[in-house]
Amino acid sequence: MASTCEATTRVVPGAAVIELSGEVDGSAAAVLTAAYQNAVNEATDNGSTPSTVVLDFGAVDYINSTGIALIVSVLARARAERRKVVACGLSAHYREIFDITRLSDFIELFPDLDEAINQLAH
Amino acid sequence: MTQVARPTPGAPGTPRRLDAFTLASEPGNERLALARVAGTVKDLGLSEARLERLKTAVAEATMNAIEHGNGNRAEIPVEIEVTQDGDDIIVAISDQGGQAQAEAAHGEGDPEEPDLLKKLDGEQTPRGWGLFLIRNMVDAMNVTTDGQRHTIWLTMRTGGAAHGEHV
Repeated sequence: MASTCEATTRVVPGAAVIELSGEVDGSAAAVLTAAYQNAVNEATDNGSTPSTVVLDFGAVDYINSTGIALIVSVLARARAERRKVVACGLSAHYREIFDITRLSDFIELFPDLDEAINQLAH
Repeated sequence: MTQVARPTPGAPGTPRRLDAFTLASEPGNERLALARVAGTVKDLGLSEARLERLKTAVAEATMNAIEHGNGNRAEIPVEIEVTQDGDDIIVAISDQGGQAQAEAAHGEGDPEEPDLLKKLDGEQTPRGWGLFLIRNMVDAMNVTTDGQRHTIWLTMRTGGAAHGEHV
């Protein structure tokens, strides 16, 4: 099954940002794994060690249980590397799912990317 | 324990069938199921939040039927029926997974609830959220088996919140 998930990465001070679009389901595994590595590499190449990874779901229209598992894997990897994960751009429904699964206990949620970056800067 | 009788909705009256359709057991077709069910029930009084919950439950149950019930064999259809019975919207999703699928649906093969901390510590696989999500999204979930036919019944009540949720 072809993935409809796309990811772009960029670096902001202290953080690596992964902007996701499309569907976060089982077919997104390779995209998400590569995006995480690219984001961290990009930040490291710029001379910084990102202490935070920002997952921007603002352009994501569907997350299923397999997508939740992928997010868990990203979080586990980040924790092992002593990085914090924050998320932004989730709809009210997916914020509820982050609460039910307890992902929001480990991933701080922000309404949008600007607010996430602003908070990280303080 | 697997229930073998169709759930009896609380409200009296004759159930009204709103839609019935089949889908090929191909990964991704759960998106077709959720879109069609959402279109069928959109004017029945569910709040937007509860409609989103039902959509997620339908997608997850259909995905289970495709993958685990019918083994991704496209020629075996997943059958979906939407009925209204009083204040209840009931979505029935059937596959040919038989008792094994029913036991899986009740967590009998893997009784451990998903625990995020255990998953982060590698004590549980990152996966295993599907049934957990379904149970938390709808007002009631029941499972029946009749020979090879395995059906998951999702009930969502119209006209009010449940589980103490904010709508």
